[in-house]
Amino acid sequence: MNLDYLWTGFAVALTPTNLLIGFVGAFLGTLIGALPAIGPINGIALLLPIAYTMGLPPESTMILLAGIYCGAEYGGRISSILLNVPGDAGAVMTALDGNPLAKQGRAGEALAISGLASFFGGTVGTIGLALFAPALAALAIGFGPAEYFVLMVFAFATLGSMVGSDPVKTLIGCTLGLMLATVGLDPTSGAYRFTFDEPELGDGIEFVVLVIGLFSISEAINILEHQSKGGEIIKVLGRSLARLEDISKCVWTVVRSSVIGFVVGVLPGTGASVASAIAYMTEKRINDRDGTFGKGDVRGLAAPEAANNATAAGAFVPMLTLGVPGSGTTAVMLGALMLYNIQPGPQLLTERPEIVGGLVASMFIGNLILLALNLPLVKIFARVLTLPNWILVPSILVLSVVGVYSTHSSVLSILLMLGIGVAGWMLRKLDFEMAPIILGFVLGKVMEVNLRNALAISGGDLAILWSSTISQVLWVMAIGIAVLPWFLARRMKRLRAIEAKAEAADLPED
Amino acid sequence: MHGDHGAMLRHGRIGAAVLFVFALAFGWMGSRIEYAFSSDPLGPRTFPVALAIVLAVLAALNFLRPGRNEGWPRGATLVGAVALPALVCATGLLFEPAGFLVAIFVLTTGASRAFGASWPRSIGAGIAHAIGWYVLFGVLLEVQLPAGDLFKSLLKR
Repeated sequence: MNLDYLWTGFAVALTPTNLLIGFVGAFLGTLIGALPAIGPINGIALLLPIAYTMGLPPESTMILLAGIYCGAEYGGRISSILLNVPGDAGAVMTALDGNPLAKQGRAGEALAISGLASFFGGTVGTIGLALFAPALAALAIGFGPAEYFVLMVFAFATLGSMVGSDPVKTLIGCTLGLMLATVGLDPTSGAYRFTFDEPELGDGIEFVVLVIGLFSISEAINILEHQSKGGEIIKVLGRSLARLEDISKCVWTVVRSSVIGFVVGVLPGTGASVASAIAYMTEKRINDRDGTFGKGDVRGLAAPEAANNATAAGAFVPMLTLGVPGSGTTAVMLGALMLYNIQPGPQLLTERPEIVGGLVASMFIGNLILLALNLPLVKIFARVLTLPNWILVPSILVLSVVGVYSTHSSVLSILLMLGIGVAGWMLRKLDFEMAPIILGFVLGKVMEVNLRNALAISGGDLAILWSSTISQVLWVMAIGIAVLPWFLARRMKRLRAIEAKAEAADLPED
Repeated sequence: MHGDHGAMLRHGRIGAAVLFVFALAFGWMGSRIEYAFSSDPLGPRTFPVALAIVLAVLAALNFLRPGRNEGWPRGATLVGAVALPALVCATGLLFEPAGFLVAIFVLTTGASRAFGASWPRSIGAGIAHAIGWYVLFGVLLEVQLPAGDLFKSLLKR
């Protein structure tokens, strides 16, 4: 296997500037993850325009954003454990056993164990990424426009079936994103679409405007509404070293969970929340013999943390090799590359090895930095939990306004961001998620261009969309994954019926 | 009682109906996109119109089963939920005429207040935000920020 790109990458990532950028990213990411109000997407969205206007080269921007992404997965656990409020979606499961441990006065140990689990998961995920990316890129190099179009269909099918509670709502989100992507000049025909004669919309809706509107602005209103929410912060940390017996108890849990996390991360569209839930459930099924899960079992704490960090790495595989992001956050990073006019795909690895390699290498280094940062400095990070909203949210708003304004010095962008933010907030109230909209948006142009190119090749014959073996396999996979939840739901119903019977007969759970 | 459930259903259905109308409008506009030529058989209209049809179908499904939703805020929360976007809007409008410092002062003072800080605290925070962010962006990171036409005309005099 050819890993030359990785050595190129280490040369890029180990330059003093990029090391510093990676460190800044990891540090900020941990802070962002620890803050209950904002997650990795928000952090990346807010810092992307600043990195861009500062004139950082694409590989440095990617190193910064990857640092934030991985850092946030570390930081999310801090508020889960100490506050019982997850810092981001991937840390929901961490609270289940992490907070009870903290209440027993073992908060410091819980933080140490979850930090080690995060490191292990992140490193396993990055090794997987380094090995798997070239293989997948080599496979995808034979993809033509038709195959690409079907790949997008597959990505949306996965998204609809795996993300969110309501597939219809997830797919509506994707469609809205695809629609937003059609705004602007259509290059093949020269037609202006949905621009309302506004010259600034000729280039389409700006990515930064959309992301900051959907995430930061709508989140700010959301925080305002749910202000009273907030638990008690646990101040007594206790000893902050992990016990050896706990570590040895967690070894296999962490190994399994890392693999689960990586695999789930690779699937397009499914992110850390799905991965950590699956990992937790799996460990509970395997290990929960004495009913300790949910009451402060270290394995219940280590499993989701290893999984969500492995997912963060896994999610880069489809994004870097196919141009299809594996999670909401990598969708934002794909949009970041598009800001630099780089379209990720199978060629990226051979044409721009410094970007892919630099990113992967920086994740190895970043995990080490994060472990070094997180074990001794956790008390400092825990302090940000007490940051009041009246300081935090105005700061988010300033970063939003400046970020959106700075990319094109345009006031219209600020107003457009606001409009998108309010619409996003309303959709959130209706229980829609924002990530599918972003995924739809970043895939929209590619999807349409490939469809039209495919039909241009075939002279308008739709059969080209299912004529090759690759597209047929992808269609079968798409249909399979779309049917899967329906099938699982029926199985779950049966399981629940059995459980109900067991309960009625007063039998212990298996 | 079904009061809450009924309200939730109604909210969800209104949302679905709005999405449906949006799909129709989008499809109608999409079908009227003007273009002179196209080098591919589909042209610029087909994809948007297809998306509009997909969204209309999904919105109809959502109308039948709207699922969970939160309902709209009331009272003080509603005031805040309106005030915050209004503040951002005002900031946008003030940004170029009044300049970065004034716009950010207005935004952060108002937002601090909306999040429950007292007036003196809010104003203090507003001043600190305006100066702090100016130093970070304008001086350290060298981002182009509007000085404000107001100050420019003062300086010229």
